Amino acid sequence: MRRTFGPRTLGKGLLVAILLIFTLFPAYWMISSSFDARASSGGQSLIPQEFTLDNYLFVFEEGQFGLFLKNSAIVAFFTVLISGIVALLASVAVARFKFKFRTAVLILVLTVQMVPLEALVIPLFVQVRDLQMLNTLLGLVVVYLAFSLPFAIWMLRGFVAAVPVELEEAAYLDGASWGRMFRSVLLPLVAPGLVATSIFSFIVAWNEFIFAMTLLGGAADKYTVAIGLKQFFGVHSNDWGPVMAASTIITIPVMIFFILVQGRLSGGLVAGAVKG
Amino acid sequence: MKKRYLPIAMFAIAALGLTACSGGGTDSPTDDTLDVWIMQGTNPDTEAFFDTVGDAFTEKTGATLNVEFVQWADAHDRFVTAIAGGTTPDIAETGTTWTAEFADSGALAPIDDYVAEAGLEDDLVQGLVDSGTYDGSLFGMPWYAGVRSIIYRTDVFAELGLAAPTTWQEIVDAATVIQAERPDLIPFPVPGDAEMLTYPWVWGAGGEVSTLEGDQWVSGLDADEAREGIRFYTGLATEHGFSSAGATTWKETDLLDNFSQGTVAMAISGSWTPATVLEKAPELEGKIGAIAIPGQNGGISPSVLGGSHLSMFEGSENKDLAWDFMELMTTGDFAQQWADQTGYFAGTESLLQPTIESDDPLVQPFAEQMVDGGASLPVTPTFGAVQAKKTTNAMIQSILSGQKTVDEATTDAAAEMNDIMNGN
Amino acid sequence: MTVLLEREAKKGTAPARPPRRRSRALVIAQARPWLLLTPALILLGALLLWPLVRVFLFSLQDYGLREIVSGDSNYIGFGNYAEIFSNSTLWTVVLPNTVGFALVSVSATVVFGTLVAMLMASLSPVWRTIVGSAVMVAWAMPAVTGTYVWIWIFDADQGLVNETLKSLGLMNESFNWFTNPFTFYAIVALNIVHHGFPFVAITVLAGLLGVPKEMLEAAEMDGAGPVRRFFAIIYPTLKPVFSVVIILSTIWDFKVFAQIYLMPGGSGSNREVLNLGVWSYVESFGQNRYGFGAAIAVLLTVLLLIITAIYVRTLFKEEKE
Repeated sequence: MRRTFGPRTLGKGLLVAILLIFTLFPAYWMISSSFDARASSGGQSLIPQEFTLDNYLFVFEEGQFGLFLKNSAIVAFFTVLISGIVALLASVAVARFKFKFRTAVLILVLTVQMVPLEALVIPLFVQVRDLQMLNTLLGLVVVYLAFSLPFAIWMLRGFVAAVPVELEEAAYLDGASWGRMFRSVLLPLVAPGLVATSIFSFIVAWNEFIFAMTLLGGAADKYTVAIGLKQFFGVHSNDWGPVMAASTIITIPVMIFFILVQGRLSGGLVAGAVKG
Repeated sequence: MKKRYLPIAMFAIAALGLTACSGGGTDSPTDDTLDVWIMQGTNPDTEAFFDTVGDAFTEKTGATLNVEFVQWADAHDRFVTAIAGGTTPDIAETGTTWTAEFADSGALAPIDDYVAEAGLEDDLVQGLVDSGTYDGSLFGMPWYAGVRSIIYRTDVFAELGLAAPTTWQEIVDAATVIQAERPDLIPFPVPGDAEMLTYPWVWGAGGEVSTLEGDQWVSGLDADEAREGIRFYTGLATEHGFSSAGATTWKETDLLDNFSQGTVAMAISGSWTPATVLEKAPELEGKIGAIAIPGQNGGISPSVLGGSHLSMFEGSENKDLAWDFMELMTTGDFAQQWADQTGYFAGTESLLQPTIESDDPLVQPFAEQMVDGGASLPVTPTFGAVQAKKTTNAMIQSILSGQKTVDEATTDAAAEMNDIMNGN
Repeated sequence: MTVLLEREAKKGTAPARPPRRRSRALVIAQARPWLLLTPALILLGALLLWPLVRVFLFSLQDYGLREIVSGDSNYIGFGNYAEIFSNSTLWTVVLPNTVGFALVSVSATVVFGTLVAMLMASLSPVWRTIVGSAVMVAWAMPAVTGTYVWIWIFDADQGLVNETLKSLGLMNESFNWFTNPFTFYAIVALNIVHHGFPFVAITVLAGLLGVPKEMLEAAEMDGAGPVRRFFAIIYPTLKPVFSVVIILSTIWDFKVFAQIYLMPGGSGSNREVLNLGVWSYVESFGQNRYGFGAAIAVLLTVLLLIITAIYVRTLFKEEKE
């Protein structure tokens, strides 16, 4: 691509500018309002007029967001960990072995993704109740596992398939058992894929709303960030400054995570879609 | 080869870790902890109040009190999920219109025996006893009662030389002046998501919400009188423009927030709200007045005699302890303090009487409204379902947003109400 | 899609062949895939398939709070379904909202995401990283926070949009964007597209970078404009990528819940904006009519299954031809 300053470059620059504004504006507006002392009284403008940290202090004093962040972190950690392990095993099975019903399993993995969560609220509520896990974070982890697994298997499958079979065979020739091969050949090569996959499980656990609302209904000390924010909004619905401060607090960890794994992610998505 | 046991092992570890994380909390009620749900926002300083109550309770019984604060907005759903999931507390504050519904599901324990033993039968406020009784047993211990009247900005009225309205027409007259002279204020907001603010106009025009005819509930919302009231009320927004576009999706709390921010001239508001407003906006001190909701041509338009019960759950393992708490809360010092701090009226006659005789300008109009213009919503488990369906809210909102005319909206709402209340 | 799977199977990913010294080893090797799959299958079965069966069973019952508490069943046949289909709300409000919204937002998300991907592909690596990070920021915003930010931007009393329009003199009085079903869903669509296009953009971009440069350059030499280049080369090459992107977007957009439920009036008081998911939730947990809510949920599932099935079939046919 040659670098010339023509109308084309200009047009492209314009498009990039518009795109950047569209993608970043909500985040900008959220952060800017959260630092604006006048966000709640209707005096806000594009740039904060009166810089303040009061909104954040208020959020942590009134809103227990420290607790919500901790709860979400626990739920997200276990969801990511367990679904990563289970999905890795399953994806090795579907990507590396030829067996009866293999296609059936793959189609199953794809179709279960379309089951609407709302449809499962009632039965899963009853099921989690029968397990005595209402109002516990464990109950939530179990449910989130189910939601993150299909996509994780689907994506990891691509990564596993991308590892050259020759490497495996070389390991066998060296006399390695399957378990050893898995540990020392497959696992290290698929690790980047695991990172990319983990972000999806992470989003499920961090963002999910309807199940957190029903399964944790009566225990405000177990709330995750999503329903913590809803509760906070219910009490302070017109205090936009603090509401935006709370939103910022729960968004920043995800954003950092996303930008860090950005490179890995794009490879993984296509791997999931086309590789093999 | 051992790899394949890994997930199982990890799962077990994770499970252990998580239960350890969650086990320390409140979900393993021991004999000496009483779990209580209290609604948020009633008392500006709820937490301090319950700290004191908790200490007194521990001193009296040796048990600890674990209070959880619940928002009105999603309280109904949370109760239902807790009942369905078997995770109810020992005691909860229940809105008067919900007690019958929860009693019907078998989740509440009757408290007649306790009340009789304590000799309180004749001291309880009758309106609250009525709404707390289901199938001949008392399920809701009267705690506090409240009514909605109109609060307004006395400074604005004084500045414009206005007198407090005494008829519906005078509300329009006053609002017209405010609209012209003080464009920065919303003269009389009509919130679209606040059903309790609708009923005074229905009753004020001589209509009914729903009445029992034989064994069928018949909604009166589509009768001419009710329509006239609703037409007047929504007309404040749609015809006169005394409301704001935003108010169409306001809840009662939004109305109160805006009043506190000083952008509202008149608002229907509960006896408990002046305290909250002054706490949020101390600069409004001395600038707030209250009047009973005017009747159409003078007198008073009835408003909902609402309030809360304390209800004991059937799942409670320690009912005697629960009753100790109920008694502590609803009689004596704490009941008095609660009423004083919140602007609600106590649930026992002996405490209520002095309040009614008060001449405090922010108490007297509400007392007048309660004594002379307090009315009840239908006492039946299904009315809670009507509220959860937001039948009235949807009706008002659809009129305000222009989706339906008053006639269409009231017809639809009445049909829906009849459907729900007669079990489809 | 199936073709894709079969192709992959054929291409071999040859079965692992540990040294076949003993037949016991062979048995283990054959059992291995199933052993590896077991945890995943157990979880999916217990947490997705079994509940799906149960939701269907609930939908055949008059299942209320009492039944949930006691665990008794109360079968009424297809009564709930009869009630749903005779309910005018379904035909006039809920179904149009659900289907119409999914159509609009899926096409908007996919088209916009593809355009962004093509723009990004033509940028220098530095700018691509900058734009990529911005796209990540949009993606990372949790649904609940994103929804509140959009509500705040469009808030009737103090929101940025109303304030700006008023100060520009384009509007005299505040407008409540949430009461009219069209503007309500326009905001939801904005929210969904903003949150959903990054997935499309990043996926398609990665695919685009894999399209051989020579092919594109050759086409450009032949005088093919960008539109022709897209349909002649890019789309056919990336077809599998597009199918996955479209299917997943459809699935996600049919199921929007939080983005509607949290909006002013979205949780039931504005009847004109109900969709299948919210309707099911409101009937179940607001009215304690879990059977009726379950029937609505079954309807939603069936709808999604049909759409995906049709889609997979068309894809299958095209590939065959």
